[in-house]
Amino acid sequence: MRTPLLLSLAGSAVLAGFSVAALPFSRGLFRAPRTPYDASEATFTVPAWILLRRAAEVVPPEASVVVRTEPPDATNDSYLHRFAVALLPGRKIIPAAMWSIPTPPEALSGSDYEIVVGSVPPTPSGRLVLSIPEGTVWKRRP
Amino acid sequence: MRSGYLWLASLAAFPLVGTPLLAHPSFRRFGVACRFVLAAGVGMVLLSGTMTVWALAGWRWGPILLLVSAAVAFALRGLIPKGSDPAPLATQREIGAEGRSTPAIALLCACVSITAALAATLAARSTSPDLLLFWGPKAQQFAAARTIDAGFLSAPYLEYLHVYYPPLVTNVLAFGAMVAGRFPWGAATLTFPLLLAATGVALFGILRTDGSADRAAAASSLILSALALIGIHAAVAGNAEPFLLFFELPAVALLVTPAARSDAGKLLAGLFLAGAGAAKVEGLPFVGAVVLLFVLLDRAASRPLARTAILLLGPTAVSLGVWFAFGASRKVFYGYRGYGRSMEFHWDHFSGVGSAIGSALWKVGYALPFAVPILLLLAIRPGRGRALLPLGVAAALSVFLLLTYLQSADDPRLWIAWSAARTFSPVTALVALATFGAREPR
Repeated sequence: MRTPLLLSLAGSAVLAGFSVAALPFSRGLFRAPRTPYDASEATFTVPAWILLRRAAEVVPPEASVVVRTEPPDATNDSYLHRFAVALLPGRKIIPAAMWSIPTPPEALSGSDYEIVVGSVPPTPSGRLVLSIPEGTVWKRRP
Repeated sequence: MRSGYLWLASLAAFPLVGTPLLAHPSFRRFGVACRFVLAAGVGMVLLSGTMTVWALAGWRWGPILLLVSAAVAFALRGLIPKGSDPAPLATQREIGAEGRSTPAIALLCACVSITAALAATLAARSTSPDLLLFWGPKAQQFAAARTIDAGFLSAPYLEYLHVYYPPLVTNVLAFGAMVAGRFPWGAATLTFPLLLAATGVALFGILRTDGSADRAAAASSLILSALALIGIHAAVAGNAEPFLLFFELPAVALLVTPAARSDAGKLLAGLFLAGAGAAKVEGLPFVGAVVLLFVLLDRAASRPLARTAILLLGPTAVSLGVWFAFGASRKVFYGYRGYGRSMEFHWDHFSGVGSAIGSALWKVGYALPFAVPILLLLAIRPGRGRALLPLGVAAALSVFLLLTYLQSADDPRLWIAWSAARTFSPVTALVALATFGAREPR
């Protein structure tokens, strides 16, 4: 075998070996993940993913929804708005924050539902519709 | 689960759409598997283009799109004159007459890399946040609206969707979502291993027409191994990079092999360049660099110049022209937006940008997927003719990316940290492709 080919194949073999080594063996390689982000570097999306997918079963189409974290965090809330646009199609998503700047409370008060990722809010804003370890869903209007 | 399988099954539509063109005798040299993959690429370009035309015209998407796209593929055969294939049959028969050990080892490395990419995707190791942030939501909404939904793109609070990003990826994802009835997030991530494997099949099929299956196999395997490692670390599953690379690499491969001397080869390269241009913003400078360097470096193959320009650039011009016409007619966007003022570069960020890029590449397997192709290139010293095009395009892309990062008035280091490994992946793949032109022993 010629030297250039040998070098190329050796390079491929090294890179292929590193690809195998990069697999998440310790994080359940052979177990079905709960979300597409379970073993990724974006694991912060996992609780929101699980809660929003469950919320999609109880929040009707065309309802207006605010998604936020508890305790409040404007940066996380900015991302939660985007996740909700993706995972709650057909609903009107009102951002609790945009570009890490909180939305004024009066702009949020008109929403039909509030989805809270994290702990139960100290002052619940309506009727509890769903409660799972990742968070809660509240219906604000009767 | 069922919608995921349906979504994956819908991918079969793309080779069907492209087959009327790839069934032309000029493409027989590539072999059945490669032609199937190339037909899929042509099918994606034509179906996405037709979907964009339909959206521009205000018509809702439906099954007729498939017939129209396939009819366009058939009509494109008219651009291929008789006797376009310059490869003598004798040369083609010689392909594969070499030893079997090199292709076998290369195939093994490629299979290990693709399997690792598949395992990483299935284990939710490599899913791109961009899938959740904008590719998925746009595709989902377009599928529901049966068109490119200008109302959604211009809705308040949705500025982060990058509304001007070219349409191919969202159109392809939306097509499957229409068939499946909903957008299957998990299945969409499988585009990473699928397109990686398709890229490998296309590259090997194209490069082996240059006369050496051994060199073709070695180069294809090196490219796949580098891209798999980058993709796993840089989380490209569900992102546009696998699409971009699937179109970019076969396009350049076509132009460094005898196919570049035929109208059929140039037309196919032009369609794949259009795919790259319609997949990501950086696909457009890539197309410009490829065509300019091809004309400058291979003057014999690029004659007649006007016809070459039409074959190579025409599909991109039509594809992006329709997209920009859609954006302007709906008052949604008027071209690509930069991350700062055009032609204003923050040179005071230069050292920070350089070190941030180095740091980002280091985090991907200690920069091995970037270092190994460069080291091999230096060791192998490929023939000048074939290596200059991929190396020139790699250099042009590197400059473009560097200038893009320098355009940001804000500190770009965080942006570089999560994007540089992905955006530089075509650069290292092109360097690896340049090793294909290794000198034959005398």
